[in-house]
Amino acid sequence: MMRRERWLSLGVLLLMAALWQGLSMLFRAEAVPGEPMVPGWQVLATRTLLSMADYWPGGFGVPGVVSGAARSYAAAGLAIVGNSLDTIVRLYTGLLLGGMLGSGLGLLVSWSRWTRRMVQGPLQFLRMLPLLAMVPLFQLWFGIDFIGKIMFVAYGVGVIFFAGVVNAVGNVPQIYIDNGLTLGASRLRLYRSVILPAIFPELRASVLLSLGTGWAAVLGAEYLGAQSGLGYIIVYSEQFGYLDRMMLMALLFILYASLSYAAFDALARRLLAWTPQTARGIVIE
Amino acid sequence: MSDAAPMVLVSRVSQTFRRADGQKVRAVDDVSVQIPEGQFVCLLGPSGCGKTTLLQMVAGLLAPTQGEIRVAGQCVRGPAPERGMVFQKDSVFPWMRVIDNVEFGLKCRGVAKPERQAIARRYLAMVGLAAVERAWPRELSGGMLKRVAIATVFANGAAVLLLDEPFGALDYVTKRQLHDVLLTLWGAGASGGRRTVLFVTHDVDEALLLADRILVVHSGRIVDDMAIPAPRPRNSDSLLLPAMVANKHRLLAHLGLEVAPAVPVLAQ
Repeated sequence: MMRRERWLSLGVLLLMAALWQGLSMLFRAEAVPGEPMVPGWQVLATRTLLSMADYWPGGFGVPGVVSGAARSYAAAGLAIVGNSLDTIVRLYTGLLLGGMLGSGLGLLVSWSRWTRRMVQGPLQFLRMLPLLAMVPLFQLWFGIDFIGKIMFVAYGVGVIFFAGVVNAVGNVPQIYIDNGLTLGASRLRLYRSVILPAIFPELRASVLLSLGTGWAAVLGAEYLGAQSGLGYIIVYSEQFGYLDRMMLMALLFILYASLSYAAFDALARRLLAWTPQTARGIVIE
Repeated sequence: MSDAAPMVLVSRVSQTFRRADGQKVRAVDDVSVQIPEGQFVCLLGPSGCGKTTLLQMVAGLLAPTQGEIRVAGQCVRGPAPERGMVFQKDSVFPWMRVIDNVEFGLKCRGVAKPERQAIARRYLAMVGLAAVERAWPRELSGGMLKRVAIATVFANGAAVLLLDEPFGALDYVTKRQLHDVLLTLWGAGASGGRRTVLFVTHDVDEALLLADRILVVHSGRIVDDMAIPAPRPRNSDSLLLPAMVANKHRLLAHLGLEVAPAVPVLAQ
């Protein structure tokens, strides 16, 4: 059953790739002369891939294009790895910082009913603020280098975690809290042994949401004022009409996002071994 | 024992709620009662009569609007481990394995791991769950979850046990088995003898099989206080004793299921 489903989704992916190829053959318009609007796979796999060498500043014995060397697949590969790493480090530092601060603050606020009520209003306000509109603000506050970017990601993710934790704590069934209290649990013990494990299934949704938002935030930060990273390559490509390079970046995002989802899913399955089957994402038919 | 201070002392306790429509409801209305140590008391009444509210106030989960509750001489202010509670709904923590649930209260009190494990194993064996100590609660049936909850409060050494319709949602066979489990644990006693039990139910036969004394609750008041002196252990034959049949008629009359014989209503 599982195997058949896997074949099915693989088939759909292949179909989408074929459709893309068909589109590239139907629409032959060019953004600028020589740059197709819909780049086919034969372009992406050869010229586009090789063009990544432009983003390699040189090092590890592979000279960069800037220093006069010809484009090479080695330089292209290094450029992809290097720029991906830049973005991923920014993303995960921000995710970790925002996740910890957001959930810590959320737990602190949920300590009493009064603090919970106090943050209800401001919380709605924070969630309404369009995240990407805040990029210039964060650049002015924290600068355009590493700190500015991770602070921006941390903010975007932190709001999600904060709201997620406050809501999840509010949804913990009263009976578990009553049971803990009548067995003699202190406030701290209640948080550690009852509330934290009880909110984890609900928090899983926040983590998945924050992975998506984190990617959007780190790219948004890179669009405005970065000298490396996948977002930087996208903005650079836009200026010259290099649609094929933008497409390649999109493919990389899909790859990285899928990998991080899969890794988190494996971790969550282990941590949630106690939940009923359906809560672990197995569909009843 | 009767001249000693009562284990549970409820004096002139009321609980008033404001319903969503703004109307005030007296869930518990000026109730006073004394329960000596070691007595098995059933609170019996129709649903919505205030018996669960009264129990929650003894547990400390709900503060009385008026009046005072003392347990072992101490005024009740919030929940405490000497008043253990078994809830109507499943209260076993699903994220802890069975034995960790039973150990939880002891862990809160700082009992060392080997010692609390030994205590938990002893009580799990007494409720017949020795084989599943490493299971997740989701793998157990409703009846087994109740056994875990009972083992947990007994292991925690509570002097007063509060049970809120614990077997209400179970089938007849499971219910009867759990009566035996409960009475065995109660009869086995702690070092200081039998523990005091307050058991909320709306099941007349259940109350007659379990209780030393039945308090009938109606509209927030205790309307009858009956001693059930039938010898233990009791079985379904016990319900056929003439005194038991008389008691059953009296209880059914209180629930409005039979025409009332001349029942003296206690003056409050």
